[in-house]
Amino acid sequence: MAMLNEYSGRNLPDYEFEAVKKVHFSPYADNGGSVIALAGDDFCIIAGDTRLSSGFSIYTREQQKLFPLSNTTVLGCSGCWCDTLTLTRILSARMQMYKHEHHKEMSTPAAAQMLSTMLYYKRFFPYYVSNMLAGLDENGKGCVYSYDPIGHCERSNYRAGGSAGALLQPLLDNQVGYKNQEGVDPTPLSQERALSIIKDVFISAAERDIYTGDGISIKIITKDGVKNESFSLRKD
Amino acid sequence: MATERYSFSLTTFSPSGKLVQIEYALAAVAAGAPSVGIKASNGVVLATENKHKSILYEEHSVNKVEMITKHIGMIYSGMGPDYRLLVKQARKMAQQYLLVYQEPIPTAQLVQRVAMLMQEYTQSGGVRPFGVSLLICGWDNDKPYLYQCDPSGAYFAWKATAMGKNFNNGKTFLEKRYSEDLELDDAIHTAILTLKEGFEGQMTADNIEVGICDANGFRRLDPSNVKDYLANIP
Amino acid sequence: MSILAYNGGAIIAMKGKNCVAIAADRRFGIQGQTISCDFQKIFEMGPHLYLGLPGLSTDTQTVMERLRFRLNLYELKENRRIHPKTFSSMISNLLYEKRFGPYFVEPVVAGLDPVTFEPYICNMDLLGCLNVPVDFVVGGTCSEQLYGMCEALYEADLEPNDLFETISQALVNACDRDAMSGWGAIVHVIEKDKVTTRTVKTRMD
Repeated sequence: MAMLNEYSGRNLPDYEFEAVKKVHFSPYADNGGSVIALAGDDFCIIAGDTRLSSGFSIYTREQQKLFPLSNTTVLGCSGCWCDTLTLTRILSARMQMYKHEHHKEMSTPAAAQMLSTMLYYKRFFPYYVSNMLAGLDENGKGCVYSYDPIGHCERSNYRAGGSAGALLQPLLDNQVGYKNQEGVDPTPLSQERALSIIKDVFISAAERDIYTGDGISIKIITKDGVKNESFSLRKD
Repeated sequence: MATERYSFSLTTFSPSGKLVQIEYALAAVAAGAPSVGIKASNGVVLATENKHKSILYEEHSVNKVEMITKHIGMIYSGMGPDYRLLVKQARKMAQQYLLVYQEPIPTAQLVQRVAMLMQEYTQSGGVRPFGVSLLICGWDNDKPYLYQCDPSGAYFAWKATAMGKNFNNGKTFLEKRYSEDLELDDAIHTAILTLKEGFEGQMTADNIEVGICDANGFRRLDPSNVKDYLANIP
Repeated sequence: MSILAYNGGAIIAMKGKNCVAIAADRRFGIQGQTISCDFQKIFEMGPHLYLGLPGLSTDTQTVMERLRFRLNLYELKENRRIHPKTFSSMISNLLYEKRFGPYFVEPVVAGLDPVTFEPYICNMDLLGCLNVPVDFVVGGTCSEQLYGMCEALYEADLEPNDLFETISQALVNACDRDAMSGWGAIVHVIEKDKVTTRTVKTRMD
């Protein structure tokens, strides 16, 4: 044993050096936030909460997560905020270019398709954003498009997304989609009812989801343009 | 462990079918200091003699009335050291029950478990039965409880009872004095009177001990408190 | 994937006016594959005491058996019915005994006090941490969806029939948004003098 220790080379300070340390970096952050969109026959409402957070800390209580892309299209984003910023900047540039090239505003379905393509373009380093596109289609009918981070797109009449998506979606199924209800005739959604549902479900979500709260901003899209509203939620 | 002690029980049947070890234990109890328990309509009282052999002895240094948990208390007749082991185990049982069920142990449950322990000491190897009988009092379900627990592991619920030296006289006295609608204050008075029967020498607040249990839980009376009761006794 | 989500399932309990309700889905599956549609996750532990055990199915059954063992001993030893609160402590204790190799269940208890018939509900995590709220408890793979439904639909002091409607809607709609729960549902409404058990038809996909 003594021999081994003597020649083991462990007592040569000149040759000792710090090993290379592996440094981890995660390019993504989850900044929370929830977005809901409801479509009616001649309108579409999209609402997003205004809390921006990371883990247990709140960055701001008044962050808009809704981005008007045209007079008839609004995008709601939640997830990694830096990706949201980049995505929406590129998106508005693309909207602008379309306008110059085609001398008209891009329609909501066209914007929806473009967003899908843009997301899939980053298939192997995706934008970590849960997107929701709300607006009126060419016939003036309300439409909602929801996405996964790599561009899967689905059109529907109502959708909840973001950190409280799982809490809100079954409620919309029940209250807007009349799922599991017997003997109810599905009356078309009115603007007032849509608004009150949105407020109700956000209050519920704020009770249980720590990433959703502070307030909501609402955009009501009709053929006359986009109307803004806001509503406050619990702030703890 | 087994090699260090007898691996068979010392409590074995005599040819006539008796367990003489248990009878000896009961003899030790009957030779011990007298103790009394009385159930009143609004509580229970336990009282015992705590006489000392010498005037040099520091009174109130060792107590015979012990609290087991907030609403249960205990006294004994017989051997002091054996009693303290039972107190320790009873306290442990009460806490264990509280830990599992987040609910104070019912008096009947504690008595049952203590009796189980005492029975174990009549059948296990290398041990002898306890040389004590216990009086356990408690308050739960808005009712008072009084139990006696013997070295054999037998237990009884009493309205009033006496144990230890001259216990027969004590019981006869209680039979005459007891009534169902006794109040706690009267019960304390009666308990002290029962002790006084056959008490040798002067009874003072320093050579008896009293514990009471009611809706507020169990507590040992202060000597000053006992003195007040003694003042009412001729 | 968490072991808690290996078999899937959802359970929910709600307090009403002098009554409680507990409901569960009936699916038994292995990850995505459904094996049967009549699996029992709620167990009757007494005349007014029901226990739901969502989580790993083998543990659902083992924990139920072990609790029944302890409960039977308790009721024989004490010669009285157990209080739901005491029963919850018993479960909590059983689970914490396996602190470092836990049973993968998140129990939900619903019942009435055997003496006063006071409604009681609670749930706990797989280590036995108790939570006793005033309104409702949920458990299982779609607990997020259930929370969303309950927060919006729940009202205090519902009558038994309204409570049944509320708890069923909450459960069924939540299960429809969870691939691992659903395939039928069962609802027990516990009142002082009767327990109403109903099976609820749901979409089977």
